[in-house]
Amino acid sequence: MGILVSIGLLMTACGKVPGGNAADFDQSYPPSSGGTLIDATAGEPSGLIPMIAGEAAASAVASNIFNSLLKYDKNLELQGELAQNWSVSPDQKTITFKLKPGLKWADGKPLTSADVLFTWKLVTDDNTRTPYGSDYKLVIRAETPDAATFRVSYANPYAPALDSWAGLQILPEHLLKGQDINTTSFRFKPVGSHYYKLEEWKPGERISLVRNPNSTQGPPRIDRLVSRFIPDPAAQFLELLADNIDSMTLNPIQYSRIVPSREDLKQKLALYKELGNNYTYLGFNLKHKPFDDIRVRQAINYAIDKQELIDGVLLGMGEPVSSPYKPGTRWTNPDLSPYPYDPNKAIALMKAAGYTGRDKEGYLLRDGKRLSFDILTNQNKQREMSAVLVQRRLKEIGIDANIRVMEWASFIGRFIKTGDFDVVLLGWGLSLDPDQYSIWHSSQQAPGQFNFIGYNNPRVDKLLEQGRLELNPDKRMKIYHEFASILLADSPIVYLYAGYGLPAIHKRVKGIDNPAPPAGIGYNSYDWYIPPPLRRNEISQ
Amino acid sequence: MIRYLLKRLFWMVPLLVGISLISFLIMHLAPGDITNSEASFNPKASEESRQKLRELYNLDKPVIVQYGLWLKRMVKLDFGTSFASHQKPVFWETKDAEGNVIKGMIQEALPITLLINVLSLGLIIFAAVPLGVVSAITQNRPPDRAITLFVFIGFAIPGFWLALMLMYWTGVVHDWLPISGIHSLNHDKMSAWGQLWDTLTHLALPVFISGLSGLAGISLFIRNGMLDVLHQDYITTARAKGLAENTVVYRHALRNAMLPLITILGLAIPGLIGGSVIAESIFAIPGMGKLFYDAVLMRDFPVIMGILTIGSALTLLGNLIADLAYAWADPRVRRGVM
Repeated sequence: MGILVSIGLLMTACGKVPGGNAADFDQSYPPSSGGTLIDATAGEPSGLIPMIAGEAAASAVASNIFNSLLKYDKNLELQGELAQNWSVSPDQKTITFKLKPGLKWADGKPLTSADVLFTWKLVTDDNTRTPYGSDYKLVIRAETPDAATFRVSYANPYAPALDSWAGLQILPEHLLKGQDINTTSFRFKPVGSHYYKLEEWKPGERISLVRNPNSTQGPPRIDRLVSRFIPDPAAQFLELLADNIDSMTLNPIQYSRIVPSREDLKQKLALYKELGNNYTYLGFNLKHKPFDDIRVRQAINYAIDKQELIDGVLLGMGEPVSSPYKPGTRWTNPDLSPYPYDPNKAIALMKAAGYTGRDKEGYLLRDGKRLSFDILTNQNKQREMSAVLVQRRLKEIGIDANIRVMEWASFIGRFIKTGDFDVVLLGWGLSLDPDQYSIWHSSQQAPGQFNFIGYNNPRVDKLLEQGRLELNPDKRMKIYHEFASILLADSPIVYLYAGYGLPAIHKRVKGIDNPAPPAGIGYNSYDWYIPPPLRRNEISQ
Repeated sequence: MIRYLLKRLFWMVPLLVGISLISFLIMHLAPGDITNSEASFNPKASEESRQKLRELYNLDKPVIVQYGLWLKRMVKLDFGTSFASHQKPVFWETKDAEGNVIKGMIQEALPITLLINVLSLGLIIFAAVPLGVVSAITQNRPPDRAITLFVFIGFAIPGFWLALMLMYWTGVVHDWLPISGIHSLNHDKMSAWGQLWDTLTHLALPVFISGLSGLAGISLFIRNGMLDVLHQDYITTARAKGLAENTVVYRHALRNAMLPLITILGLAIPGLIGGSVIAESIFAIPGMGKLFYDAVLMRDFPVIMGILTIGSALTLLGNLIADLAYAWADPRVRRGVM
């Protein structure tokens, strides 16, 4: 649907300039405080307690309201947020966090280590309806020696622990004590400690946040953030064109065709490009024949032209990947490169795997049988288009692939959990911690677990176990570099691409880093500002 | 009459239970449950945590036990709380421990959907009847041809495409109408009239889009009904008696041609509740259609069942009202009912 609209808009591209000639948005202005930033989200949060509302819309809003002990800086290295510093004991089993002095909640009450302990107890409580408790249940002892110190001990060293403390947003004990976290009205009127506090939530319409005067991190420049709920991306784009919202994430057609083709849009919209935290892949069911044969997997890997996918599906707005880590971060092994497109090598490998004959239609045969399978994917336009290109390339070397598109919950429930598939085309989100135990360790293959392709490699198991025990980042890096190179050679999945996030932000918003650092443009959003002449009149008073 | 009414109402109870049982079973036949979406297939959400969630939601019990639990609550008209939306009540507001009112999801979504659908129904009736009549009395002449063309365009044009083009034309190019949402950001600061005007301008496009295909259908229906009636003997008799053409058409023919419309309007009542998913999604209107669609994707069983139950009850009531209205309008039917 978005594509149809995009074509419609392209056709009207030479129409009248909407909005007329406004202020000069390219002029430079000194930083100043004030103004309102309006953006759009597709979904409405189900609540604003991050550990319970698991969806992206909730974390996007909650991340402006609550703080964690740690956070990631612009280069995706950990730094303190509520914690001034942290230390790891020599046996790597105990982590001690020292809180910054003078921390306060938005209601003025002090924020202490007791709040951190309270939040940990909540997330590990069996009655808390959270899917995210498991990392924190590994803590065998949590204590608060004083109001500024929080200490956790693990039975064994657990390297992803630090990442987990960057993910746990701290909740106020004085407002939540004795309440049922699942049903408390706090979920609709939260009180946090971050830059902003909730001003108003109009169900079905918008959430607005205003500056929190007691912010533990100092004051942000923009006074008010408004998130409007607009589910349809085409409607969001129209709102952006009409100046009713200031920012949204574009699709590749809007980014590389529509905006550049229109002078009026180029004048008022600034386009940014940031590498997303996920990659798209083709995954084999290694328990099914012939995907247990590394030669078949490698042949398919050679047969797929990744650059063609990036150009065709993403209009060039992506990068090839060769490890499950974000390019540009320390966890990516710089020595690895993707399998090149080489159909001859693919055919040779298929021959070596026993596919020596061809039938009348040119498909490869082994023991008189054609290699034919379904590529399963979910309703996601980019994945569907990728599947079509993959299907065509496989046909060229004589493999018969069909495409089957499913709705998400059915897809997971019917095929992934039961292991009833041959090949899937999906994506993995990348956590910022390199641990991928739950995806690749051979013990994680039960129904509902994440190694659903059935990958089993003793050396990889060993590396994943070592990686979890090592808190020293340099030593960890070596472990994960070796892990990634084995994974690439084994080819249990074919890495297809990592797409860019393509935010467009109205030029009235200044102070945005371009090009984007690894953490993306939003890492310093508290420093963004809207100069007074460029503010909206009707809502900035 | 009263006996007939009581009998009809009595038979609705087993029908409703049957419908709800079938709905419940079909809903559980679809693979997946809330824990697939809630944890977004996130490796940080372990299988044990999701199993725990399933127990907290009673999803680990056999379907028939889950249905029993649901029915037990329904007897007290308790529609339960949403799985997906942080334990919000499905139907009507409740008070939490601190005495804060938490509004129900259907309670929030229903009024806006009703408003849009009642307005579009009004648009349909007020525009479709004259169009159908004019089309019938000018059969095969230019007005009829023009109206028929409009009707076919109304049927054929994809609603979402037209919606987006109109949003672009009236919202971006000309700034005549708002693009999406139901209120402006500064709605609360407006005067009462300003607020009314603001809401009406926001409603204009959604009402037009959700009414368009219905408008096309009903005007065709009226046209065909009128043509049937105009060929009846009693119309020829009326004309032969020398009655004015207007009297023949509007007093004798139209009234009879309108009779089947009563049935259609009765059947349209559940549609008023279901709303239009497409219009609500495109125009970012937090109504029932979107609520239901999201609930199905999330496998939010209490919300799905709440909407289905209310929808079925209204369908049955709609049928009853249509029957009664038909009997009231047509003496031939009345004898059987009253």
